Parts: sequence; structure tokens; C-alpha cells
Amino acid sequence: MNIVEVKNLTKEYPAFRLSEVSFSLKEGSITGFVGRNGAGKTTTIKAMLNLVHRDAGDIRYFGLPLAGHEKEIRQRIGYSTGSVSWYPRKRLQDIASVTGSFFPNWDDNAYRAYMKEFSLDEQKTPRELSEGMKVKFNLVLALSHRAEVLILDEPTSGLDPFSREELLEIFTMLRDGGTAVFFSTHIVSDLEKCADDILYISRGKIRAAKTKQDFCDAYSHAGESLEDTILRMEKEAVRA
Amino acid sequence: MRNILRKELTLSASPATYFFLIFGLMFFLPGYPVLCSVFFVTLGIFKSFQNAREANDFVFSALLPVAKRDVVKGKYLFTCLMEMTGFAVMTVATLLRMTVLKDVAVYRENALMNANLSALGAGLFLFGLFNLIFLSGFFRTAYSFGSFIGYIAAAFLAIIVFEAVHYVPGLGAVNAFGLEHLGLQLCLFLAGVLNYLVFTLVSYRHACRCFERIDL
Repeated sequence: MNIVEVKNLTKEYPAFRLSEVSFSLKEGSITGFVGRNGAGKTTTIKAMLNLVHRDAGDIRYFGLPLAGHEKEIRQRIGYSTGSVSWYPRKRLQDIASVTGSFFPNWDDNAYRAYMKEFSLDEQKTPRELSEGMKVKFNLVLALSHRAEVLILDEPTSGLDPFSREELLEIFTMLRDGGTAVFFSTHIVSDLEKCADDILYISRGKIRAAKTKQDFCDAYSHAGESLEDTILRMEKEAVRA
Repeated sequence: MRNILRKELTLSASPATYFFLIFGLMFFLPGYPVLCSVFFVTLGIFKSFQNAREANDFVFSALLPVAKRDVVKGKYLFTCLMEMTGFAVMTVATLLRMTVLKDVAVYRENALMNANLSALGAGLFLFGLFNLIFLSGFFRTAYSFGSFIGYIAAAFLAIIVFEAVHYVPGLGAVNAFGLEHLGLQLCLFLAGVLNYLVFTLVSYRHACRCFERIDL
């Protein structure tokens, strides 16, 4: 079942255009959103969260249009980014306590369980955390209000291989629990490890949106790895 | 709304904002432009906006399950709460100067504006000016602090005018001691209240419109 549908999303900047981006996300699946830096991943994600205004297109969560249903949709989704940390000098405990007050679904027991599982000390502040731990804390905030969709902007960028591996395992665990995980990345090996579906964007346009197997069947040449395939496709898109 | 105000007080506010509330006590200082205390309170509030920007508070808040205008409302509630707390300190100092301290020589020989009800009205005018110029200007981008410069210029021009107005022939009563010219004092105080309400409301509506339009 599709729980997120993005249709013909368009956003124009003076030097960049996101053109008619369309895709959907299924519950209990991991979708890797891959593209080089500046391809339009963050703009797409920000438009999905209504942080930037789209020029055209339709975004629906759980069958509801984002416009006019923002409050109820935000109750059911979670967002994290690898590059930004909230309130770097505040204790995690305080950030979580305030965040929880906005969500009627907030589950304090789940919060404590995830903090323990991810080895997070709530007396610490975000600036005392590694990049990987920051992403984990954002995941805890999202999971503690039982987010059904996790939208993650480059959660693995800047992480060492061990932390990346650990994070991808967490995505798999969440997927198995029924959560839809949507994460952007420019590290193709992340997709190979855990993605069910691949969404490939280049120069503001979606070039492919398929399951990983269908993607390989459709675009990979004999003996090519997924990374080789995407690199070749990107070179072809640049030349075109 | 309580949760958004709690977020402001717990996560977004700079400790400097709370510290600068003490500057309300400058209403006790003789021979000093008492209205500068209003400026210091607003400077403290400005520090919280700096803090919020550096802590990515605006994006964090916009991602919460609240309407975008509620993010603006939270900032205005916080600002008004801090202003009214600072104002309460100034009011206590003023009422003491108008009653038990009204005949103290250092206050009687004060060349600048006396702390009285019209001074409190002028203080509210300055708080309103902060809301009108800085707050509404800030929400045009949610990151630029350029409007604070405009506020500083307007605030100090207004402070100079208020501090000197009682030297204008016929306006000496503005600088009344104790309960003298109480009718005039009350009128000037109420004019300050009205100014504050109008400036804040106009600013809030403008800020909501601007914040709704910008990309974060």
C-alpha cells in the first residue's frame, strides 16, 4: 500500500529546476533516494515536508493531501538529517521532553527503550554526540511518537563505515517493524546493503524509480555493480 | 499553545534574555536615561533570536505538528512575556519612586526624564517599536538580523525625544513627580499601552504572512 505519493513535484530556482518529480513509498519498505550533490534530493525532501513551497505538484501522505492536513500528517511522520543538529547546547532529555509534548502519541517507554538500544545518554547535549549518534537521536524522537514514515536526508553522510553499517541495520529493523524508510544518499553502497526500492535523481529529474532488482535488470550491464551502473547513468545524463 | 511557549522558554531562549530583565531596575538610577533599560531588555530578547537561529530552532519548530503561524505565535508570546516581565520590574521601581522615594534629593535634581507613569508609557512605546521593527523585519527571512539595526536607530531617537521632551515650553508636566498631574500621567501611560498593542498586532500579522511565504 502506498503511504506517500508525490506527483509532478516542481520547484524552480534561478539556477536550478526540480522537474515533475513523481514517486511513491510503500509501508514496510526502504527506499534509497540516490543522486549526486546538487541533484535535487534535499529540495525534494524539503518540499515533501513543506519547508519549501512547491511551484506545482501534489503530495499525499496516508491518502491525505499535505496542504490542509499538515498537522495530522506531521503526527505520523519523522524527519532526520545528518547535517543539522537541533539545540546543540541543550540536554537530550530536555529536547525529548519538549518534543514529546507536541505528540499525543508520544510513548515514553518506547523513548527510553530506544535510547537504551542506541546507547544514548540523555544527559548529553547534541554537540557532545558524534554525527552517527545525532542521527540516532533524531530517529529516537521520530520513533517515540510512532512515526510510520521516516524521511531522512543524507543520514549516512559523514559517518565512518562502522556507524553506517550500524545505521543501515537499524533501517532494516524498522522496515521489518512496518515503518517506511525514505533516505537520501550519494553513497551507492548504502543502497546495495539495505534498499528495497531505488529512486535515482539527476539534474532535478527522476531518471529511475524501481525496486532494486528491477533497477539492476533494467539498467545494469553484464558484470556491472549497482555503483558502476549509477555512475554510468550519471555520466550519460551529463552528456545528454 | 502552552507547549510552544514551553519550547521557547526551555530550548530557544538564551540565558542572556533572563539576565537582561534585571536591567529593568535601571529605573531606580538617578541622572541616567531610564528608558535605556527598555533597550537592554529588548537586547536580551534579541539574544534569544540569535540563539534560536544558531540552534536551527525555526526548522525544528516548522517540523513539529503545528501550523507555521504557530511558530510565529510562539516567538511573539515569548517576546511579550519577557517584555512584560521587564516592564513589571520597571513598574515596581517607578511606583516606589513615585511614592516613598518621591522627595529623595537625587531624584528631585534629576536633569533627565523622571520615572513616572508617562515614562512607563514611553517604555511600552519602545517595546512596541521593537516588535514592529525588529520582529516583523526578522520574519521576512527568519535569518537576517538587519532589522535590529533599524530598531536601534529608531529606539535611540525615541529615547532622546522622550528624555528631552519636558524641556519643551509647556510640556514640563510630563516630568511630574509623585502623583502630580495624575490625569496627564495616566493619559500618557494609556497612550503607551495602546501603542504597544497596535504595534504588536500589526507586526504579528505581518510576520505571520511573511513566515508563511518563505522557504526554510
